[in-house]
Parts: sequence; structure tokens; C-alpha cells
Amino acid sequence: MTMDPLFLALSLFRRRKFEECSEICTQLLKKNPYDQAAWCLKTRALTEQVYVDEIEVDEEGIAEVLMDDNSMAQLPRPGTSLKKPGTGIGAPTPGVRPMSQSGRPLSGFVRPGTQSARPGTMEQALRSSRTAGTARPVTSASGRFVRLGTASMLSQPDGPFINVPKLNLVKYAQRQNLAKSLFEYIFHQENDVRNALELAARATEACNFKDWWWKVQLAKCYYRLGMFRDSEKQLKSSLRDQEMVDTYLYLAKVYVRLDQPLTAIEILKKGIEKFTGETALLTGIARIHEALNNMSDAVQVYKDVLHYDNTHVESIACIATQHFYTDQPEVALRYFRRLLQMGVYNTELFNNLGLCCFYAQQYDMALNCFERALSLSTDENMADVWYNIGQVALRIGDLALSYQCFRLALAADNNHAESYNNLGVLEFRKGNIDQARVFFQTAQNLAALMYEPNFNYALLSQKVGDLQSSFSAVNKSLEAFPEHWDSKDLLRQLRVELAAL
Amino acid sequence: MTAPNANTDNKRNKEANIWLDAHHDPVSSLHTFTSCLSLADLHADGDHKLLVADLGNKTHEMKLKVFKGTNLMVESSIIDLPTGLVTFYMDTNEPRTPAVAVASGPFIYVYKNLRPYFKFTLPPLEVNSVEQDLWSQVRDDKIDVKILREMLESLQNEGSEGLLTVRSLRFLQLEEDELEAFAKLHKSAPLKRQTVITCMSTMKKTMPDDDAISCLVVGTESQDIYILDPEAFTVLAKMSLPSVPVFVSVSGLYDVEFRIAIACRDGNIYTVKKGGKAIRTCVEVGSQIVGLERIGKTLVVGCMNNSLVCYSSKGRKLWSVYLPDSITTMTNLNHKAKGFKAVLVALKNGEVRLYKEKFLLSTMQVDGPVTAMQFGRFGREESSLILVTRAGGMYVKILKRTASFEEKDTVSGPPPAQSVKLNIPKKTKLFVDQSLRERENSTSMHRTFQRDLCLLRLTAARSYVSALEKSLNPVSTSGEPIKVSAHIQGFGPAFKLTIKLQNTSSNTPSTDLLIAFQFLESLYNLSRPCIPVPLLIPGIEYVFETLVECISDKGIADAIKVFVVHKGKSVPIITAVINMPVSEAVVAV
Repeated sequence: MTMDPLFLALSLFRRRKFEECSEICTQLLKKNPYDQAAWCLKTRALTEQVYVDEIEVDEEGIAEVLMDDNSMAQLPRPGTSLKKPGTGIGAPTPGVRPMSQSGRPLSGFVRPGTQSARPGTMEQALRSSRTAGTARPVTSASGRFVRLGTASMLSQPDGPFINVPKLNLVKYAQRQNLAKSLFEYIFHQENDVRNALELAARATEACNFKDWWWKVQLAKCYYRLGMFRDSEKQLKSSLRDQEMVDTYLYLAKVYVRLDQPLTAIEILKKGIEKFTGETALLTGIARIHEALNNMSDAVQVYKDVLHYDNTHVESIACIATQHFYTDQPEVALRYFRRLLQMGVYNTELFNNLGLCCFYAQQYDMALNCFERALSLSTDENMADVWYNIGQVALRIGDLALSYQCFRLALAADNNHAESYNNLGVLEFRKGNIDQARVFFQTAQNLAALMYEPNFNYALLSQKVGDLQSSFSAVNKSLEAFPEHWDSKDLLRQLRVELAAL
Repeated sequence: MTAPNANTDNKRNKEANIWLDAHHDPVSSLHTFTSCLSLADLHADGDHKLLVADLGNKTHEMKLKVFKGTNLMVESSIIDLPTGLVTFYMDTNEPRTPAVAVASGPFIYVYKNLRPYFKFTLPPLEVNSVEQDLWSQVRDDKIDVKILREMLESLQNEGSEGLLTVRSLRFLQLEEDELEAFAKLHKSAPLKRQTVITCMSTMKKTMPDDDAISCLVVGTESQDIYILDPEAFTVLAKMSLPSVPVFVSVSGLYDVEFRIAIACRDGNIYTVKKGGKAIRTCVEVGSQIVGLERIGKTLVVGCMNNSLVCYSSKGRKLWSVYLPDSITTMTNLNHKAKGFKAVLVALKNGEVRLYKEKFLLSTMQVDGPVTAMQFGRFGREESSLILVTRAGGMYVKILKRTASFEEKDTVSGPPPAQSVKLNIPKKTKLFVDQSLRERENSTSMHRTFQRDLCLLRLTAARSYVSALEKSLNPVSTSGEPIKVSAHIQGFGPAFKLTIKLQNTSSNTPSTDLLIAFQFLESLYNLSRPCIPVPLLIPGIEYVFETLVECISDKGIADAIKVFVVHKGKSVPIITAVINMPVSEAVVAV
């Protein structure tokens, strides 16, 4: 006795075996091309294969970042814009919490956007983030999504399943049962936003502008097309019909794109009033606080998240990082151990555990952790592990070991600016001025937003009497870190020397 | 720590915002300095115009511009860069219209009714006799241009560079092949040595009235001060200084008693009195002077060391104030109706500060460093302030009639930072517990740590040796002292690979090097798969480029290795690894 093929396909779909599910549907459709159930199921199976959570994926392309004409104010007030974070209160100083190579404070959890601040120049946009291993797409509208689309084309040798341009969208819009899965297919699988938009517009008209789901889909299309204000309107209207967590998150995303983080936070808070304890909304608030460099508020919200969901990896990691950089490594150690207990087992975690153990004076475990981190490391994160071992070696006064470690970090990642900087300091200590200068210059070129190489270069130039270079370098250092006391002090000395008659 | 400070600052600014915005043109494209800005009642109709000697863009488009209200009324070209602009009454004719004097090079152009009226040339200076002799020999073809050049160079090296004529100086700058033509063209003309005007001011002649006849006071590059008669344009007096004057400040009447304070390039201020031929060093400021204003009987001096210092007329230091940034320009604010005199100081960070004595009365922020400002009557408004920023923006501000100038000492008492508590996190109980554990098991912890450290050293040394053997490092350790860094730019499928090589030694150049690449041939195509490297001079960064084309449309990426090798050796000296980004697909439009 054989199972009913449609039932089998449904079961496969539920077990997320989409390939097999779509194969069975294809056969069913060969027998009867007008089998709506099979058609619908196949559409959904194909969609699920490439489905990306629209709310999470948010990487701005170069074009969006550089040619941003959506933000409201060119010179926003402090603490109200994502373009100039760190202007509000409670921002960590780069002297305490180091910056990533693109100028954001190190975050506890890597998400799209946490690694890269909005770059100031085309050069920066093109270089830093792309060579850091994460390719930034040209525009989010074309590059990445087109690639996803072509990847799916490859898997279907006999052409696409549905020929979208030939569809009579008006007819499908009337049939609500088919229209929704068809829309998702067009939107996710085909990436044909225009046709998707047309279908959504007709469908929402067909149900007398009453269906919240279609409004959200319309908003998604508008968002993809860069029409954020229309997207906002649809989402708000959808929220009036039916309040959904997803809709709130999407609306917040639209406001973030419009560079109105405070409004985004307000929207999310409104969502929380309705859905108390929804961790997705809370996490959204925390992320915006973090993007504004307001770490203390971010940690507060992350703690709320943990109150409702005590296995939330992102919250634990971010709180731990914050504790580590506010001089409480022993507390950070507790959080990282919690992550380990939860089954996170990777280089980054062992590296952090090692650092926490070392700074919390639990020396017997520190180096062990680093060894494990090394054995787990891949090409991408090996450099950071070596760099941290180098730091530990510096702390225990073993300069030879730290020199080797920094060199190894450079071998693993040729653009590791921090290692170049520290090597420069070591060479400077040894008295190899020329070598040190080259290292500092390289670090300056690699990470223009770090203040350390600039300051070190200024100090070196001042020592050898090259006051002009020293002056320009110390000014760059102050640009990256305006409150840096040593730079200010050096600048004062330079002023005296330069103004001397 | 900065937050409370900023708060109080804001509050004070709100209280003391004494300026009304009358006009703001961010793209007026003016390029001028305080000395080239003036306000005057040009047509004797009570409507004061703004006169600007615009420096244009360094080499051309120098113009005298006259603004009526905010509209440009008259524009007339100036031949050379203007260094000063003043308005003065040169006769007693009715209606009382002032003349405009623009100093430029060795000339003063005088405009009357906005038409060119007279050109005054400073008296020529004595020409160096050797130089005179040389040129006369050239004229008579006794010596050729090469000898002339050598002789002039030796004259220049003797330290009398400033004493040569413009013609000789220009001659020395020319290329070898242009000498002959230049000498031929100019040798027959008589040799003249002229100086350049550095600063200009006016001094009332006999009466202290507003519209009384004034003399011009001119400072020159030849370290002289001239006082010129306004009617006949003859030199009334000439005084020599020990250095080049840069700012002059005049008080008194020429016929009665006057005193001129002159700030010079050697950082000293000299004073000259009527009759007294001797120049007195009044003040040694100790820093370069960037502004000089006279307020009553005191001199307020802006210095390059970010300070504002006040001296009495005898040269005694009265007070000094330190400023947060360097001074770009200064002017005085003389509010006659209120009998209020103060000094305006513009800073590099775009602030304009108003100081009465040493007390800061108000601060105003504009969107760039101010290079020129002038306070006075503009249009029919008695107390206007004109500001021109470095970016070419023009502001017109009006002093509020209700503005009160409270003198308060803002620096008294302890600084606000003193009362702010530092946010130092407390040590947690966890920390105490852990330190207890440390105290109890100290020996075993130390042993474990030392063992682990030995192991780690071994691991590090092994990896280091293997990295050295494979020459994986971007910085060489032995042999050739070179360093490589490589960057990739572009979206794909075409990328540009930039390789920077630098010799890190102090004096050994590197030779016979090649750059080679290792890459997946099915994925990438390089335009220059092997780059020969020229001799590398220490300290200079050499840049090499090659185009990389991604020939796969599968959306995959691979690493490209860059080797720097010695010719004839197979082991690379250094290696750089580039992780290629995923190439963007070609989007069909």
C-alpha cells in the first residue's frame, strides 16, 4: 500500500525536506497541471529553500551608505543619529573599549552592521569592510539578492518553475489562497520586487484594504525599492488592523534606515506594551542603543531579555563584553562560562574566556583556554587569538614571546593593524626607529580610525625631532579620540616647541 | 566628565546670545582678511556700504567689491593681491564722501566716488651697487647670463636676498634655457628696487572729528613706516624699524601728538611717538603675533600660542587669557552709543568670542574658521558685525539693542570638574571570592601557569619557525629588510590589486626583486602575473598595481598570495595573502 503522494509531500515539507517535497509535487503536476494543492505546495517548498528572515538581514550597501538621501538632518543633534554615534552620553571611549578596524566599539556579538560604522569616504567603504572578509554589497537592492536568485536558477536545469512575466497577476490576486504563496515565491525565489509589488497591490485591493498581511508585504516591497516613507505608511496601517511582532520590528527597521533611531526605539517600546516580554522586540531596542554607542542602556535592556529568556546567546555575550570592558572580568567570566555550558564551543568564546581568566587572575586556566582557542581557530580568527596571546605575553613581561605572537598574527592576517601598532612599539623600545616608523605608518594606513598608531607615530616623530609630522599625526589621533589626554599633552608640548621664537 | 561643563556652557550661551542673525550667505565666495574689509558711508547718504578687497583665488580675480545692503553694487578688478583696504577723507569738499585706498604690492590705489583716482607708488629703494653693476655689464654685453646668474647667486648667499631687486630674484628662479630671453627683454630697462606694503592704517591729521582729513600710515617689507599726506600724497614722515611690521595701531593726531604701536614679525611690539625719532621696543611678546587691537589705552595682542595678552601703553603686561583654539583674526567692537569697547576674537574652531578686558562676555559659533570680521555701521544699522569664513561664507549679525554686557569672572572658584565623581566600578564579591581561591591555592596555580606558559612558548616558537620557513610573513625577518602590504579594490568582476613595498632598513637598498602571485587559474585572471621591482630605496613606499578579473560566475572566492622573491631563488622572502571578496554579478540593465 502506498501513501497518498500529496500527503507524503506535505509531510516532507513539514520535515523541511524541500527538495524531495518539490520533486513529488512536480510529478503530481505532470499528471494534472491544474492541481492547485500540489502547485501551492511546490511554490512554498521552493520559497522555503531560499527563505531569509527579512527582519534580521540588514546590511546596507555602499550606495545606500554613501548616497543616503533619506536621513532627515545633515547635522543631527548629539545622540539622535546613527551616523555620528558616540555623541550621546555614556559612550565608551576608545581608550577603554577598543575599536574595530572600521571604527565601531567592539561588540559582544557579530551581526551585520556591528563591524562597520558608516564609512566617511568611498575609499574606506571600498576597502576596509571588503578586505575584512565580509563583502559589502554594492547596493542591497541588486547585488546580494540577485546572487541568491541566480543560485536558485542553477538548481533548476529546466528553467524556472513559474514564468512570472507571463502570469495574469489580476487573476491570481483574486484567489487569496494561491496569491500569498505566489507572492512569497516571487519575492524570495525570483527576487522580482516589481512584480511582487504589483501582485501585492492588486491583492490588497481585492480584499478591500482590510488584510494586514498584504500591507506588510507591500511595505517589504517598498523597503526593497528604497521607498521608506511609503513602507512606513503601509506598516502603520497594517498595525492598525492587526498588531504583530514582525510588523513592529519591520517598522523599527524602516526608521533605522531613515536614521531616526529614537523613533525606532519608541515603536519597539509600543510593541512591548502589547507583547510583554517579547525578546525579539527587546533585543531590537538593545541593538539600537548599542549602535548609538549607548552601552549602559543597551546592557540594561539585554538584562531584561535574559529575564524572559535566559538562554539568549546575544544578550549574554553583549553583557559579558560590557563587564569585561568596565573592569569586571570576573563577572564577564561567569557569563562566558554560561555560554560554554549552553553548548557554544568556538574560538571566540575560548579566546574571551582566556582573556577573562587572565585579567581576573585565574592564571591556571587562562593559557589553557588560549590553546584550545588556537586549536579551534580558522584562518579568519587565528590572527585575533595570536594577538591576544601577544597581549598576555606583554603583561607578563615576555617581550620575545609577544613579538613572535604579533608576527604570527600578521602571518595569519596581513591587515591586522593592531599587531602592526604593537610591533612598532616593541621595535621602538628596542631602538629600531626606522622599523618602528614603518610599522606605525602601515597601521595608520590600515586602520585610519584607530588613534593608537597615530599617537605612537606622533610620539616617535617628536622624539626624533620631526615636529611637523608629529603635529599632523597627533591631530589625526585627536580626531579619532578627542578626549585622549596623552595626545592633548603631546599637542601642547608641540605647540610650545613650534611657537618658540 | 564633560557633560556638566557642556550644560553650563549652553546655559550661558542662551543667556548671552546678544546677536541677531541678519543675513547668511554660505556661498558668497569671498576670500578676504580683516585688513581688507571696511565699512564706510561712501555716498554721504547715511547708508553705510561694505567694502571688500577680495583676494580671489590666489592668482587672479582679485577684486574690489562694494556691497549695498547684501547686494553687490560695484565690482572693480585689482591687478595684484590686495594687502589692505582703508577708507579716509582726503579733502574738505561737500558732500563728505570718503576715498578708498587699496594697498597692493608697492602701490596704493586711491578710489574716489568708486572710480580710480590716483595711484601712489612707494619711493624706490637703493639698489645694491654690485647688482647694479652686474646688470649694466649685461646691458653692454660684457658678461653672459651664466656669469650673471652665478654672481647673483653668490650675492644671494651672502645673506642679502631681501635686498635684491624683483628682477634679479625672478631671474634666479628661471630655468637654464629661459635666462637668455629674460635678460634680453629686461636688461635695457633701469633697475629699480621696490618694496611691498604689508599693512596700512589711517591717522587723523588735525582734527579728531569723524569726518576729518586723515593721513595714511603704511608699513612695508623694507622695515619702514611711512606717513603719507592725504592731499598731495607726499611722504610726511618715514621711520625705520628693526623688523618687518605686520600690524599697526594708531592713536592721536598727526599735527598734535600721536603714538603708533607696530607689531613686527620678530614677535616684538614697537612704539613710535611724534617727534621722537628713536624707536622704542615696547613689548617682547614671546610668541608670534596674530592680531593687535588698541582698546582705550591698552593694547590687546593675540598670540600664536593661543593666548590673548593685554599690555599697557608703557609695555606692562596687565592680563592674559588662554583660548581653546588658535586665533584666526581679531577686531575691536566700539559701541559708541553705549560707550562700550571690547575685542572680538575669532578662533580656528569657528567660535567668535567677545572679550571685555579679560572677561568672556559671549560666544558665537559659526560653521567654519572666520578669516575676516568688522564691526561698525552697515546700512542704517549702527552696530553690525560682518563675518567672512574661510570657506567663503558671509554672515551679517546685528547686536541686540537689549544686549547687556555683564562683566563676570567666569573662572573664579574651583573648576566644575572637581566636584564630579569618577565612575569607578566597585570590586564585586565574586572578585573577593576568587582572590580567596587564589590565596589558598597559590602554589598549584603558579605551577600550572608556568607549565602552560612553557607549552605556549613552545607552540608559538613552532608556529613562528614554520611561518618563517614558509615565508608567510608580510615583514621580512632576515636578509632583505622589506615589508609588503596588499589591498584589493573594486566590486568585481574586475578588481584592482595594489601592492605596496617598502624597504625598512636605514641605508641598504634592495635589488633584483620580483613580485609573483599564486592564484586559482580557473577563477582569476591577472593582467600582470609577474612584476619586476626596481631598486628599492630605504624609507620610500613603492606602489605596484595589477588588474584581477574574476572569470567565474559561481559566486565563489579564493585567496590570492603575493610573493616577493629574489631573482633566481625559489623561496620567497615575504608573502602577503589577500582574501578576495565575492565578486558581484554583472547586472544586466
